[in-house]
Amino acid sequence: MKLNELTIAEARKKLDAGDITSIDLTKACLEEIKNQNPTLNAFIEVYEADALEQAERSDERHSRSECWGALDGIPLGLKDNLLNQGKETTSGSNILKGHISAYDATVVRKLKELGAVILGRTNMDEFAMGSSTEHSAYGPTKNPHDLERVPGGSSGGSAVAVAAHLALGALGSDTGGSIRQPAALCGTVGLKPTYGRVSRYGLMAMASSLDQIGPFAKTAEDAGLILEALQGADKMDQTTSDHAAFVPEWKKDLKGVRIGLPRQAWGAGMHDEVRSEVMKSVEILKSRGAEVKEVDLPYADEALAVYYVVMPCEVSANLARFDGMRYGLREKGLPLFETYAKSRAEGFGPEARRRILLGTYALSRGYYDAYYLQAKRVQSMIRRAYEQAFSEVDMLVTPTAPNPAFRLGEKTSDPLTMYLEDVFTVGVNVAGLPAVSVPCGKADGMPVGMHIIGRHFDEAGILAAARVFEEKI
Amino acid sequence: MALTTNEVKQLADLARLDLSEDEVKAAEQDLENILGYVERLQKIDASGAEPFAMPARTEWREDVSLPCDHASCEIILSNFPERSGDLLKTPGVFESPKGKKA
Repeated sequence: MKLNELTIAEARKKLDAGDITSIDLTKACLEEIKNQNPTLNAFIEVYEADALEQAERSDERHSRSECWGALDGIPLGLKDNLLNQGKETTSGSNILKGHISAYDATVVRKLKELGAVILGRTNMDEFAMGSSTEHSAYGPTKNPHDLERVPGGSSGGSAVAVAAHLALGALGSDTGGSIRQPAALCGTVGLKPTYGRVSRYGLMAMASSLDQIGPFAKTAEDAGLILEALQGADKMDQTTSDHAAFVPEWKKDLKGVRIGLPRQAWGAGMHDEVRSEVMKSVEILKSRGAEVKEVDLPYADEALAVYYVVMPCEVSANLARFDGMRYGLREKGLPLFETYAKSRAEGFGPEARRRILLGTYALSRGYYDAYYLQAKRVQSMIRRAYEQAFSEVDMLVTPTAPNPAFRLGEKTSDPLTMYLEDVFTVGVNVAGLPAVSVPCGKADGMPVGMHIIGRHFDEAGILAAARVFEEKI
Repeated sequence: MALTTNEVKQLADLARLDLSEDEVKAAEQDLENILGYVERLQKIDASGAEPFAMPARTEWREDVSLPCDHASCEIILSNFPERSGDLLKTPGVFESPKGKKA
């Protein structure tokens, strides 16, 4: 087996036993990147020299019988919207081409303090807006299972880096499904933690009330190892929680676990094979002892509408800072207004511009109550609907995405059809819940993901269920 | 709900986006489709629900300026689109705004 194909847990054991070195592991990933990245375009930039140096330091620690934790010496990828001091960071946008991070995001600082090896930054839809990684200023990323299809998005580069074994794990961000949907479409595990579990300090904001950083990994166990490293309250992010830390609680079976299938989610509008593969997977959960029943989850459809009001409102505010003044692209030699307007029109791609306009509209005088305020009220109702469902069951299961990976260019001309790909994932962000996507079969020959949603801060429960499922298949 | 060309142009001005005529036309169509979709929210009786706010800690950290080491300062300066020594160069602020719209 090639070293880059190991899971983090397997690599940890071999590193600890002295069977392999971090240099071996890092070189194997760099080699695979050289072979595959020109085709896949998963990484925008690779830090070869830095990665080898970090690996060497990890090996030196090992020789002194010192280990900084589960991720010491493990090669990982970072989504291009996470600040990494001294490195270019662009959020997949033209407007930030050449922009150098002045400081480390909290999650990046934590990975460095734990001795992880950072391989490079991964491709993404511009400012994390999109479900296909086609909206990147650095070209689309390709799905390793079929190069004519998209990897999903917005964290498509991180999903592909893990699926194609260019990295042992990677970080992404998830505002409406941007970790879970590409994980499903590429056949990896993707975890969106509870809102407040992981600090967003140094994550370039898209919609601050919905954004959350999380891991891509080959297994649920590895996703847990990365989450343990990332989590925790942070004085630089007022929305991080003091809730008890995530600690894995692996189980032998699912006896006593109650799983709900939301009636509203399993209606029309999904690919037949996606439905049958996820249904088969639910049978496996049942065979492992889970008690499965249908539950009512009102306003499931409205969650997507709430999302497409609240998110663009926050986008229009968060992206106002890109004005050509202190950093980023500036069209020069113009008066003030024209400098703003031309720099932003030139720097932002079509999807970013669309959402800025939509948010500007929904927040403007006369429309604020009808759109933003109403959406925030319905958001409360959606959260109550989830609370009600979780009074009857311990977790909810749906497909992660209604369709397998679509073809490049298939959904770029009609934004609404692209938005509908998020129908199963956005509710989780609207309600601030944790959810994981686990590979569970094939449709059209492409990977399918099962989506397991948990109560607030119950990452241990959903990852344990995911792991029991992985062991069965 | 349909937006007129002028309304879209006004939005683009508010958002400081210099769009071409074609881009304004495309935006009209896109906004109409998306607003048509999200309008289902208006049909819900949400009068009994409070607008939601994500939970956040209520104690604030002290508002203090943190030291910035030389290397970080250099990075911040290097990100300036135009500079004059260690100063950020900007267009004149007191020129009249575009058609007095702004």
